[in-house]
Amino acid sequence: MMEFSPQHLLLWSLALPLIGAGLICLLNDGRPQRARTIALVTTLLTLLVAGRVAFMFPANGINLESTGGAFALTDASWLGKISGLDVRFSVGLDGLSVWFYALSALLSFCCVLLSWESIHERPATFYSLLLMLLCGMMGVFAARDILLFYVFFEFTLIPLYFLIGIWGHEDRNYAATKFFLFTLTGSVLTFLGLLTVVLVNFSHTGDLTFSIPKLTAALGPVGGHPMPLHLQLWIFAALTAGFAIKVPLFPLHTWLPLAHTQAPAAGSVLLAGVLLKLGTYGFARFNLPLAPEATAWLLPALLWISVAGIIYGALVALAQTDMKRLIAYSSVSHLGFCMLGLFALTPLAVQGGMLQAVNHGLSTGGLFAIMGMIHDRYHTREISALGGLARRTPWMALFMVFFTFSSIGLPGLNGFAGEFLLLAGMFQRAWMTTGPGGLGLKVIAVLAVSGVVLGAWYMLWLVQRVFFGPLREPHGTGHGHGSHDELGHDLKQPDRPLVRDLSLREIGALVPLAVFIFWIGLCPQFFLSRMAPALQEATQPAAAAWQARQTNEAADRQTALNPRPSVPVVAETSP
Amino acid sequence: MTTATSIQLLAPQCVLVFTAIVIFVGGAFSEGRGPWKQLGIFGLVMSGLILAQHQRAFETLLQHNEVAATFGPVSLDLLGYLASWLALGVGVLLVLQVTGTDARGPAPEVIGSLLLLVAGLMLAAQANDLVLLFLALELISIPTYVLLALARPTPAGREAALKYFFLSILSSGLTLYGFSFLYGVAGSTQLADLYSVAAGPLHAFTSLPLLVRLGVLLVVAGLGMKIAIVPLHFYAPDVYQGTSPAAAAMLSAVPKIAGVIVLVRVAAAARPDLGELGWKLMLGLSVITMTLGNVLALWQRNVRRLLAYSSIAHAGYLLIGLAVWLAVPDKSVAGSGHPVTPGLAVSGLSAALFYLVVYSVASLGTFAAIGYLGRPDRPLDTVSELAGVASSHPAIAAALALFMFSLAGLPPLAGFWGKLMLIIRALSVDVGPSAISPGVRHWFIVVSVIAVLNAAISAAYYLRIIGAMYFRPQHGAPAADGGLGTKLATGLAAVLVVGMSLYAGPALHGSDVAAESGAVPLPAAATPRARPAVAQNGQPSVAVPQLSAASR
Repeated sequence: MMEFSPQHLLLWSLALPLIGAGLICLLNDGRPQRARTIALVTTLLTLLVAGRVAFMFPANGINLESTGGAFALTDASWLGKISGLDVRFSVGLDGLSVWFYALSALLSFCCVLLSWESIHERPATFYSLLLMLLCGMMGVFAARDILLFYVFFEFTLIPLYFLIGIWGHEDRNYAATKFFLFTLTGSVLTFLGLLTVVLVNFSHTGDLTFSIPKLTAALGPVGGHPMPLHLQLWIFAALTAGFAIKVPLFPLHTWLPLAHTQAPAAGSVLLAGVLLKLGTYGFARFNLPLAPEATAWLLPALLWISVAGIIYGALVALAQTDMKRLIAYSSVSHLGFCMLGLFALTPLAVQGGMLQAVNHGLSTGGLFAIMGMIHDRYHTREISALGGLARRTPWMALFMVFFTFSSIGLPGLNGFAGEFLLLAGMFQRAWMTTGPGGLGLKVIAVLAVSGVVLGAWYMLWLVQRVFFGPLREPHGTGHGHGSHDELGHDLKQPDRPLVRDLSLREIGALVPLAVFIFWIGLCPQFFLSRMAPALQEATQPAAAAWQARQTNEAADRQTALNPRPSVPVVAETSP
Repeated sequence: MTTATSIQLLAPQCVLVFTAIVIFVGGAFSEGRGPWKQLGIFGLVMSGLILAQHQRAFETLLQHNEVAATFGPVSLDLLGYLASWLALGVGVLLVLQVTGTDARGPAPEVIGSLLLLVAGLMLAAQANDLVLLFLALELISIPTYVLLALARPTPAGREAALKYFFLSILSSGLTLYGFSFLYGVAGSTQLADLYSVAAGPLHAFTSLPLLVRLGVLLVVAGLGMKIAIVPLHFYAPDVYQGTSPAAAAMLSAVPKIAGVIVLVRVAAAARPDLGELGWKLMLGLSVITMTLGNVLALWQRNVRRLLAYSSIAHAGYLLIGLAVWLAVPDKSVAGSGHPVTPGLAVSGLSAALFYLVVYSVASLGTFAAIGYLGRPDRPLDTVSELAGVASSHPAIAAALALFMFSLAGLPPLAGFWGKLMLIIRALSVDVGPSAISPGVRHWFIVVSVIAVLNAAISAAYYLRIIGAMYFRPQHGAPAADGGLGTKLATGLAAVLVVGMSLYAGPALHGSDVAAESGAVPLPAAATPRARPAVAQNGQPSVAVPQLSAASR
C-alpha cells in the first residue's frame, strides 16, 4: 500500500481526476452508464482523499513554520532551470486555500450525481471535462508557484468553456465565448502583474524565483524590499484586472449572469461554487500581501465598489424573471459581501469574508443544483411558469428552503456565521476610523447591512413564488421524466405525466452540502481556526499600512488645525 | 571534424537536392502518379541521418567550450544545426500534408519543389556569407513560385501565385540592395568582416554606420515581406485564401523561419552600428503587426484568410523577442559598467526562436487538419463549414482545438510557454538589470501590455473555430477527403505540440544554446582579418565625429 502522508494524498488528489478522465476517454462506449460510473467513483475517491488532507490540516497553524506555512508541501523542479528561470512544481495547502480545495472536491462529487441523468449527449466528453476541471480547480488552490498557479488558473477556462458551450442552454455559444474572452482578457493582465512582481524581486535579490511564499516574504514590509507606492498601484491594478472579473466586482460582472444562466447545472454549480472564489482567493493571496500600501490607498474605493455590488446585485436580482439569472445576480451581491469583508481588513471581517466565500460555494452551489433539478423536470427557468411546487415535490422544497435560509444568513446555518463576522468587522473598521474618511465607511457599513435585508427579500420571494401558493406547472412539460411516482399526483389534471420528487441520487447530491452548511453554522470555529493564521499573515501588512495612513492623516489634520507648533520649529532651524 | 569541408557540411542539402532531381526527372518519364511522396519522405529521412552525424562534432565542440566551428561561407553552429532540424521537421510535415489538385495525389514537381525549399531553408540556416544567404533565400523563393502555381488551377489560385511572385521578386531586390550596402561597408561578403568593421575602434566616427543602418533597413524591408510584417503583409491574406491549404501551410512556416534566421544573422553582424534603431524598429513593427493582424483576423470568414492574419499577428509577437535581444547589450558591448547576467543578453533571441518553432508546428498542423477536412479539388473555405466536425471527426477536431489553444497561448500548451518567455524578457528590460536608459525602458512595458491584450483578442477568433467545431450542429458534413498524409501530418504536429507543452524545458534549452551561438557572427575560416575601420574612408576628419554624433 502507498503511504498516507499528506504530501502523497495531496498529489493523489490532483492526479486522480486526470486518471479518471483518461479512463473515461479510453473506455468510452458512447453510452452514459460507464462514463458516469467512472466519474462518480473518481470524484468520490478524490473527495475522500481531499477531505482526509483537509482534516489533517492543523488548527491555528501549528507546526507549519518549517515549511513556510504550507501543509503537505511538495516542491520539485518542473521545467529545469532554463535561462535562469526556476519554474517549480510546488504544491501545498495553507489556511487560505485549504477549504477552497476541499470545496472543489465536494462540489464536483455533487455535480456528477446532479448530471447523472441530464447528460445524454457525448457523456464521456462531459465527464472527462468535468474531471479535468476538478483537477484544475484543486491545482489552482494548491499551487505555491506563480506560474503553476497561472497555468491552473487559465486551464480551468478550457473545460468550463466546453461545458457551457456544448451542454448549455439556448444561447450557449455566445455565453461560453463571452465568459472565456472576459476572463482571459483580465487574466492576461494579471499575468503581466505577476511577472512584474517576479522581476521586481529579481532586481532586488538577484533570485529569479516564482515561489509565492518567497515573493510575499521578500516584497512584504518585513522582507526589506517593499515596492514603492506607484509601482504597487500599477501591480495592484494589473492583478485586479483578472481577479475582479473573476469575483466579479460590480462593473465587471456582465459576463456572469449570462454564463450562469446558460451553463448546464453542473457548470453553474462549479462556476458559482468554486471558480468565482478564484477571484477572492487571488485578492487575498496576491493583492493584499504584495501591494499593501496600494490596498490601503485604494481602500475606500474598494469598499465602495464592494458595497455597490451588494446593492446592485440584490436590486437586479429582485427584478429577474428567470430563476437561474436571479441566483446569478445574488452571487454578485454575495461576492460583494466577501470582498467587503476582505477589504475591511480587521481580523474579524477578513475571516468572515473568506468563510462567506466558502459558504457561498455551498449554498449557491445547492441552489443552482436545485435549479438544475427543476429544469430537468419542467424545462423552464421562468419563475412565472411555476408555482406551488412544494405540493408536487416536498423534498425539493425542503432543500430549497434550507439552502435559501443558508443563503440569507439564518442563525445556526453557515451564512449567519460568515455575514455576522464580516459585518461586525466592517463596523469595527468604520468606527475605528476617525476623520472625514470615517463617515464614508460608516455609510458603507450601513448600506451593507441593508444588502442583507434585500437578500432575504429576493430569495424568500423566489421561494414563495415558485414553491408555495397554488400549484402552477408549464403545460406539456414533464415528459420523459414521468416515473410513476404516486406521491404527487394532481387531481385536477390526472392525465398529465407526473413529476416526481427528488430521487435518492438527487438527495445524495444535496445532503453533503447540507451537512457542511450545518457544520459551519454550528461550529464555525473549526473552520476559522485553520484559516485565521494564514489570513492574518496575508492581511496584516495592508491593515498596518491603512493604520499608518490614518495616523499620518490625523497628524496632518492636527498640524492644519494648530499651526502654532510649527512656527518655533521653523524659527529655530532657519538660522 | 577539422578536416571537414564545406561539401561535407552541405551533404544533407545535397541529398535533398539529389532526391528532388530524381523526383523531377522520374516524374517527367512516368505516367500517372508514382510513389513520390514516399520518396520525398525517404530523402528527408536520409538527409536527417546525415545531419545527425554533426551531432558528434558538436559534442566535441561543446567540450572545448566553443559554440561553433566554421568553414568559410558555410558555417556550423548550434543555431544552424538546430534550425536545420527544424527545417527537416517542417519538410516532413509539408510533404505529408501536400495534396494534388485532384484525387490522384500531388504532382512530382510539387514534392521536388518542397525538397528544394527545405534544402534552401537548411542552407539559409548555415550560411555565413551575404551571397550565400541570398542564394539560400532564392532557393526557397523559386520553388515557392512553382508550388503556388501548381497548387490550385482556379483564377484565385493563379492570382495568388502571380501576386506572390511579383512581391517576392521585389522583396528579393530590396534584400539584395541592402546586402550591397553592407558589402560596401565591410568590403567583403563575409558577415564576420562586417562585424569586425562595425566593431572597429574608429568606425563610429565615420558616416559608415549610417550606411549600415540603411542597408539593414532595406534588408528588414525585404525580409519583412517573407516574415509578413505589417506594412509588407498585405499579400498574405489573398495568397493564403487563393491557394491550397498545404501551400498556405508552407507559406506560413518556411519563409518565416528563413526570414527570421537571415534577419538574426544580419542583425548580429551589423549590431554595433544599429544603436537604438534596431530595437526601436523591431518594437514599432511588432506593435503594428500583432495588433493589425489580430484585429483584422476578427472579421474573417474564410479559414485560410483568418489563419493568414493570425500568422501575421504571430510574426508581431516574435519581433518582441528580437527587439529585446537588440536592446539588451550583448557581452561584447557590455563593458559599459552595467551588469549583464550571462544568458540574459540573448534571452530575447532565445524566446523569439522558441516562439518561431512553437508557432510553426501549430500552424503546419492547423493547415494539415484543414487540408484533411477538405477535398483536393475543393478545400474547406469558410469557418462555418467546420460546424459539427467534433461529432463527425472527433480526433481531427481535438487536434485542431489543441492547435488553436496553443496559438492563442493558453496554458499549459506550448504557445503559452512561448508567449511567457517573450513577455518575461520584455518586462525584464524594464524591471530587471539592463543597460537601457530609463527613459525608453517603459516602452517594453507598454509593448508587453499590448502583447497580452493581443493574445486575448486573438482568442476571440481562435474560439470561433473551436466554437464552430464543437458547439454548432452539423450541416452537410465536410468532405474529409484529404487523405492519409494530411491525417498523419495533423497527428504528428499534435504530438509535437503536446511534447513541447509537457517538455518545454529541453525545447527552451535548445533555443537558448541556439541563440547563444546565433547572437554573434561566426569568425571567418581563417583568423579574422583585423582591418582598420577607416581604411577605405581616408583619414577621419574633424568634422566626422560631429556628424556621426548627430546621426546617432
